[in-house]
Amino acid sequence: MARDGWIAAPRVSVYAAVDTAIEVDALEKRYGARQALGGVSFSVARGEIVALLGPNGAGKSTTLSILATILSADAGTVRVGGHRLPAEARAARRTIGYVPQREALYPPLTARENLRFFARMAELDPATSRSASARVLEIVALDGRADEPVAGFSLGMRRRLNLACGMIHRPRVLLLDEPTVGVDPQSRERIFEAVAGLASEGAAILYSTHYMEEVERLCSRVVLLDEGKIVAAGTVEELVAGIQSLPSIRLTTARPLPSQWLSKLEAARVVRHGAGDLEIEVAGLADVPAVLLAAVQAGGEILDMRLHRPNLADVFFTMTGRALRDERSEAESR
Amino acid sequence: MLGALGAALAKDLRLLLRDRIGLVFLTVAPMIVISVAGVSLASLYGADPRGATAYVLPLVDEDGGPIGAAIRERLEHESAITLRLTPSRAEALALLERREAGAALVIPAGTSRAQEEGRGSTLLLLTDPVKYLEIANLRGLVQELRHAIEKEARRRAAARLEEGRDAAERTRKEFARAAGEAQHAIDAFRAALTQLRTAAEERSRAGRAGAERQLRDGLARASAERRREVAERVSAELAPVRDFLAALSERQRAFEDWLARVRVQAGTLADRMPAPPAPPELPLELQRLAADGPEALIDRLAGPAEPPIELPPFPEIDLPAVPQPPRVELPPLPEVPAVALPGTIEIEESSATGAPRRLNTFDQNVPGFSVTFLLLGMLLGVSLALLDERDWGTFERLRSMPAPFSTVLVAKLLSRVLVGVTQMVLLFAVGRATFGISLGPEPWALLLPTTGIVFAGTAFGLVVAASATTREAVLPLGSIVIVTMAAVGGCWWPIDLEPRWMRSVALAFPTTWAMAAYNDLMIRRQSLRAALWPTAVLYGYGSLYLALGLWLFRRRELRGG
Repeated sequence: MARDGWIAAPRVSVYAAVDTAIEVDALEKRYGARQALGGVSFSVARGEIVALLGPNGAGKSTTLSILATILSADAGTVRVGGHRLPAEARAARRTIGYVPQREALYPPLTARENLRFFARMAELDPATSRSASARVLEIVALDGRADEPVAGFSLGMRRRLNLACGMIHRPRVLLLDEPTVGVDPQSRERIFEAVAGLASEGAAILYSTHYMEEVERLCSRVVLLDEGKIVAAGTVEELVAGIQSLPSIRLTTARPLPSQWLSKLEAARVVRHGAGDLEIEVAGLADVPAVLLAAVQAGGEILDMRLHRPNLADVFFTMTGRALRDERSEAESR
Repeated sequence: MLGALGAALAKDLRLLLRDRIGLVFLTVAPMIVISVAGVSLASLYGADPRGATAYVLPLVDEDGGPIGAAIRERLEHESAITLRLTPSRAEALALLERREAGAALVIPAGTSRAQEEGRGSTLLLLTDPVKYLEIANLRGLVQELRHAIEKEARRRAAARLEEGRDAAERTRKEFARAAGEAQHAIDAFRAALTQLRTAAEERSRAGRAGAERQLRDGLARASAERRREVAERVSAELAPVRDFLAALSERQRAFEDWLARVRVQAGTLADRMPAPPAPPELPLELQRLAADGPEALIDRLAGPAEPPIELPPFPEIDLPAVPQPPRVELPPLPEVPAVALPGTIEIEESSATGAPRRLNTFDQNVPGFSVTFLLLGMLLGVSLALLDERDWGTFERLRSMPAPFSTVLVAKLLSRVLVGVTQMVLLFAVGRATFGISLGPEPWALLLPTTGIVFAGTAFGLVVAASATTREAVLPLGSIVIVTMAAVGGCWWPIDLEPRWMRSVALAFPTTWAMAAYNDLMIRRQSLRAALWPTAVLYGYGSLYLALGLWLFRRRELRGG
């Protein structure tokens, strides 16, 4: 449901018939009285990385679980890898690589043992399992630690191995549920590379995350969920443009600026005023120097200046609000 | 599918091997518990305590007599106790108060004398009621001891009684023999008297007959002498007559001869010759007189011989009758009664199945605690392993993978079955090597209840895993159920110690059936047949648990729990 002043969420219902690997239409799911998903529709084409964004409890994990054949939908149509769920779940699973939010690994086993086991569960033969394990270990840069128990791995290593387990059988559909939570930048970078590499091989990737910068960097499209419904969808640029937000400047001055100091600039207005701390919205980036000049001329000694351009986070907060969702998230996790 | 099953199985076995604590729990922990329980509960199972487990029994011998000595001697040779000779009751009580002993035996003064005088006596057993089992064992021991002493005393008394009876019997026989001999002597004396009387009668008769005969003979001789003398005189008187008659007869024959010759000479004329004159006829009386002999002449003249003189009867000698001595009529001597002391009632205990009477404690403890740890292992192995998978998130991933999720579940259960069977085999092997437990007549038959309880335990682990959503819930829930199952099912103590109603309740637990089969095979030494029904029940319980566990598990997983 669109809130006042928010952008009405477009219904994503246009699929590329041939290249579409994930098709979701009017998906519904309830947990008792609470509706987790209320008519979600989107698609992911082969070679495409689509972000699934939303606050806690928005329905991201539920969507991923249904696509991973772990949960069944109450209503709607789901096709994964061309197989309709849940009727063709077994065939669909052969196309799916699922990387759950938790590192779904056996801590007592080594990285190689984990990989080989999951390869066998993906119905690879023993020889292929061995070679595939070596391949993905190299991709996630764990080949040097392949024979160490996972229990001794850092979080970043476990996250990389978690991803490797999900992609060991070269899935046509990769479902990633917040794969970079808590990892160091190096591991995150390696994960990005691995995901991008798989996408370049033609896999359709649905990437659930809270990190906007990951989406902006990695994903070609975004599906923004809130309260079980899609509130926005499209490219990052489309979404940012959609919220019609303006750039802003945050100034910290040594002394408070006098009133009317910005009255001569029509393209700028103060949106927040505090003691030595101001936020000024400008019509465009070209107006920024004039604002700074005006501040200096008004006798303000600028101690700090930060420029904020409209981004996905703005879209996120604009579309979902700033209210905490802990309670709802906990309910969903139960 | 089989490849996935093998991989999942290998994964689960690998996980177990990496779990050092788990391995210790499965193997070393039960061995320690079995050892401790086997030794500490030895008396509970009726086994003989030995060595360090022998009870300390203070003995106060206030009697100082043979009874005390006998008790002391016997107790000193009793391996189930360590005898501590204590000079006074006070010191014995002090030992009890210091809990160094559970009971003390006092032989009160005068015990031996009372026994010797045939009076009863009382041994005093001072006890610490808290040490119930020790007291029970010692009481049994003292009872056996008392019984043995009484038995020995009774045996001696019986021997003395038998000796007295033999002596009485001998006396009785001697008396009977003497009486017989007296009777015999009397009979002989009477016979001798009778014989003497008969001889006297004989002699009397003979004397009388001899006298009569001599008298008659004398008379006959006198009569014959007179007749002879008469005959001789008659003969002498008649001799001239006879001579004349003889000459006459001679002359008559000579005449006839002459006449005959005359006639011969006369030839033909002889017929003419006249007949000679006939001689005169001799009178008959004269002829008889001449012809008869003296006897006949006497008889004719004097009559026949005189008839025997009728002698007057000889007086009969009236011998006194042989006295009839009375018979030695002894009253019948009663047989010496076979007086016997009441016999002792012995108890001979014989195993109905041919198994040894004494139980090796570990025959009960090894399977009992092995089953307990097996079930605990299953609880941890299956339920916690499933919870681990859930906590690790691997279930979530596996459910999105092509290999059927049931394969993963089956592999997990199968791995626990393999581990469980291996655990049981190992514990039994250690029990055999270390504690000498019996494996029964057909050791391989133990695999039947073993696989049965492993299957039931595995399936029960699934039930617990599906019922309890958290690790914190699994341990109390599973532990309570398993501890109850083990305790009530007879894993920790013989089930026969339990009241009847509890034994009936215990039939609802697989542990009861497993222990029944183990007891039959190991202790009662029965054959494979004895384990068939309990094993079937175990598999029945296992199937029930498995169905319930799968249903619960599926229900929860579908709910995304």
